[in-house]
Amino acid sequence: MKKGSLWVVTMLCVLAVLGMASVTVAADKVRGVTDTEILIGQWGPQTGPAALWGAVGRATGVYFQMINDQGGIHGRKIKYFLRDDAYQPAKTKAIAKELVEDVGVFAMVGGVGTSCGMAVRDYLTKENNVPWVSPASGSSHWTQPFNTFIFSTFPQYFEESYVLTQYAVEKMGKKKIAFFYQNDDYGKEGLDGAKKYMSDAGMQLVAEVPVEVTDTDLKTHALKLKESGAEVVILWVLPKHGAMILGVSKAIGFDPQFIAASTLSDPDLMFTVTKGLWKGVMYGNFVNMDSPLVKKYLEAQKKYAPNEKYTGLFYLAGFYFAEPLVKGLELAGKDLTPEKFVKAMEQIKDWNDWLGYGCTFTPTDHQGVKSVYIEQCGDNGARVKVSDWLVYKPKK
Amino acid sequence: MSLVGDLIIGGLSIGACYALVALAMVIIYKTSEVPNFAQGEMAMISTFVAYTMMESYGLGFWTSGALTLLFALGLGAVLEISFLRPAKNPTILSLIVITLGAEMILYGLAGWRWGAMQLPFAVPFSEYSGISPGGVMITEMNMWTFAVSIVLMAFLFLFFRFTTLGTAMKAVQQNPFAAKAMGIPTRRILTFTWALSSVTGAVAGMLIAPVSTLDPNMMLDPMLKGFAAAVLGGMTSLPGAAIGGYLLGLIENFFGGYVSLEFKSVVAFGVIVVILCVRPSGLFVRHYVKKV
Amino acid sequence: MLSQRKYQSQSGDERPCDLSYLQEWNPRHINCLTISRRKSIIHARHPWTDSADCPAIFQGTYHERLFFEPGVPLAIAGAAMDMKRDYYEDVELFRSKTVLAATILFFGALVAFPFFVGGYTLYVVNLIAIHAIVAIGLNILVGYTGQISLGHAGFFAIGAYSCVLLMVKAGFPFVVALPAAGFISALFGFLLGLPSLRLEGPYLAIATLGFGMAVTQIISHSEFTGGHMGLEAPPLAIGSYVVDTDVGRYAIIILTAILLTIAAINLLKTRVGRAFVAIRDSEIAAEAMGINLSWYKTLSFAVSAFYTGIAGGLMAFALQHVSAGSFNLILSITFLAMVIVGGLGSVMGSILGAALLTYLQIKLQVIQEVPVIGALLMEVSKRYFSPEGLPNIQSIVFGAIMIAIVIFEPLGMNGIYLRMKRYWKSWPF
Repeated sequence: MKKGSLWVVTMLCVLAVLGMASVTVAADKVRGVTDTEILIGQWGPQTGPAALWGAVGRATGVYFQMINDQGGIHGRKIKYFLRDDAYQPAKTKAIAKELVEDVGVFAMVGGVGTSCGMAVRDYLTKENNVPWVSPASGSSHWTQPFNTFIFSTFPQYFEESYVLTQYAVEKMGKKKIAFFYQNDDYGKEGLDGAKKYMSDAGMQLVAEVPVEVTDTDLKTHALKLKESGAEVVILWVLPKHGAMILGVSKAIGFDPQFIAASTLSDPDLMFTVTKGLWKGVMYGNFVNMDSPLVKKYLEAQKKYAPNEKYTGLFYLAGFYFAEPLVKGLELAGKDLTPEKFVKAMEQIKDWNDWLGYGCTFTPTDHQGVKSVYIEQCGDNGARVKVSDWLVYKPKK
Repeated sequence: MSLVGDLIIGGLSIGACYALVALAMVIIYKTSEVPNFAQGEMAMISTFVAYTMMESYGLGFWTSGALTLLFALGLGAVLEISFLRPAKNPTILSLIVITLGAEMILYGLAGWRWGAMQLPFAVPFSEYSGISPGGVMITEMNMWTFAVSIVLMAFLFLFFRFTTLGTAMKAVQQNPFAAKAMGIPTRRILTFTWALSSVTGAVAGMLIAPVSTLDPNMMLDPMLKGFAAAVLGGMTSLPGAAIGGYLLGLIENFFGGYVSLEFKSVVAFGVIVVILCVRPSGLFVRHYVKKV
Repeated sequence: MLSQRKYQSQSGDERPCDLSYLQEWNPRHINCLTISRRKSIIHARHPWTDSADCPAIFQGTYHERLFFEPGVPLAIAGAAMDMKRDYYEDVELFRSKTVLAATILFFGALVAFPFFVGGYTLYVVNLIAIHAIVAIGLNILVGYTGQISLGHAGFFAIGAYSCVLLMVKAGFPFVVALPAAGFISALFGFLLGLPSLRLEGPYLAIATLGFGMAVTQIISHSEFTGGHMGLEAPPLAIGSYVVDTDVGRYAIIILTAILLTIAAINLLKTRVGRAFVAIRDSEIAAEAMGINLSWYKTLSFAVSAFYTGIAGGLMAFALQHVSAGSFNLILSITFLAMVIVGGLGSVMGSILGAALLTYLQIKLQVIQEVPVIGALLMEVSKRYFSPEGLPNIQSIVFGAIMIAIVIFEPLGMNGIYLRMKRYWKSWPF
């Protein structure tokens, strides 16, 4: 009996303590806006298979701290709620419900993962009119069909892939293009873009090789790519698989030009992981690394989150995703409502004074960023810019 | 023909890793009838320890490798003593849940300590160059993987065959009560089993990490495949587990090479279901019918 | 445990047995305290280990004939053996008026619940109810029939997708599509049950695991099921009434959960349930008693899959979106953990297990925001671990709770409940 009751008591304590932690905040007239605060939420996988992208949500927190220390927005400070969904849609839904109904946030920002986002898209924007700025994936489902409350700043995978393929064919003069993609919506949207360009140009991909998220042995994949005789291999995969395919390809003596998606656009990280093989790989990027803001943000990181080990591109993306939100809040003025915020966002035109390029929202198009530029990995993971901003313009 | 050769080499080299994980599982299963779901994470933690010793303390590969094996030995023993031993009148299912719990704890610890970033695991032999007889590339890494796995298998075989400790372990498996009556310290034997299995797993982890890069999710897939290989081989047979591993690697590679890459990672399980329908106790173990 | 087996197989048929069967339990281990003619407390010690693990209370006098409760291992039975005086007492749904009253009270609470809480809490309760259905279904397979499954996420996925597809593509109404999804899932369960006839232990585990992974893989690669992107759930309509509120979803899910729970309790008290238990305890003995092994084993798989399929269908509407990626191995493992943490062979335990693990999964992430503990953990992280990896503490606590329950309470949360019950019943003593 003693042991049993001890356990019961312990468990009850744990549960009670957890219950205490989620104190509810009374809703004001406009949800998430008080005289002194604006409540903003984000989910991001801090654990589990996609924890790599957890840096995004943490960086957003640093950015808001920085804004608050500069005086906030129209006298209001941003109160930020970051929750871990471990990349599971059921948890994302729980988080969205908690943040909207219990905490009462004004808007959501970022949010990694297409399937996680899809599980809450309609809940947030249709049922509750929560503005959602910068879903952190390049899916086309955010802006097509048009959604009043979503503002996307992640260039669509489809368009990015189109642009990269176009560059490989037209600027580099390559004919044999192979596509190595993760076998899910992320990889497939990339594949569709490349296929669209190839068919527009009257050509075909020489190989389309899928990889499953769980695969740990890529030898067969590399052999398939080698067999096709590709001169260029476009990578639409996780950083892990990007690193592995390079190693395995080298081991079987296959050495094409690799071009990677913007999700692999951290040469520093990739250079280290591949032990130097990443040198020479080209990749799309939509975060303007030449911007003076990069330095400013990294200083903010040193000040507010000195323990952060990783401060590469995915970290900066956390700032990138939150900047349009803050811009919109500033434009919307003191008297903040979701509708006014949407109106204000739609005024943003060709905005370059942030980490991105040419951000434009209109009342009919909420895909704000449509351009990427291409970089190449140099010695020791240095960034070498090889193209200017490339905008998606379909040939047909 | 070079494709076939490449597929064979690829299949054997990943198969060797599966075989080691399978062996690690079989060692524990043989003595306690528990499929150890924490096997993969134990190997993953050990590999991280090796990485830390090399990166943070600047030790050489071989020194840190050897120290890691010691660490793995201790890890296995500690897990057994702290989690499995205290269970009162455990059923197999509750032991499985304990290993699942241990898996979660280890996974959490690794994520907490080392974060989720991909890390490079450096080895002093090349993953890209080696010999290429007949146009089939066999890298140094491949050769080391073969060599290490075969040496380890031979060692385990000899160990179980010729040493007193090995014989005692077999005795515990066959009849724990009789073994206890004969004066074999069954508890200590079980602890040692876990230690030995943990070491085998750690070797597998260190052979997988250079190719697949290091992160907390590294061993999820190899662990399942290793389990599958062990079942294929018969779960209680050491040579069976090893052959099961190689077979699985080859099946996967040839299926991926000639049929479909999309289903490469699940074909193994399909094959296993078919084989189990024909031979319910795996390929290399005689079907054991429980007597009343 | 030999002693367990012996008694359980006797409970498999419906023969009454009296306390003299306890002779195997050495009499000196049994202390009897007669309180009244109808009630006595017997404190029994386990015959071999001599530990006081399974003290028992019998209501009824020492010499009266007893029914051992079917489906409850002796260890549990020992802890809560309420005496049955005739067969009808054994099969009745509510063991006593107290149980009936408690049940009614509980239902009342469920009805009143949505008036006091917000949408978020309702969603969590919905998830718990859905997981409870799965756990009950899985417990029928694991706890009652003694098979193992690491592929229940597959059935969950089949249920979710069939329900949505039947409504979207075939235009079925929800009230038809949901049971239909259950039966489709049951069909797959039946098919998976066939190889299981020859498999056991780890072999069955790997076969079911493969099944679960194959289902996810096929669903995510088929255009018909929406590929990796998944499907939007259609509006949930019963007749012409569209349910789009949290309370409405709550009502449907809870109602289904209650119906399925009662059905499970009933099923396990019937011939079928007894056959399941008999198979678990000894396949050979069961067969010798005339139980058709292959029929009942596959039936058990089918029933279990039916429950999981229905839960999957409900999940599609709780999430309003289904995608293949979420039905992974980790989910299957979590289901199994719910059953074992809750207590094998206990419907009540399944519900408790599902509630605890679901609650922890969702709530553990705020552990860093708990006043003192959070700061302490942060300090530990800075010194020994890494602050950005701190959320991984969830996984550690989750695993530790699973292990702790299994080590200290082998009967799971149901065991804790029984201990408490026994404590109150025998309180003055």
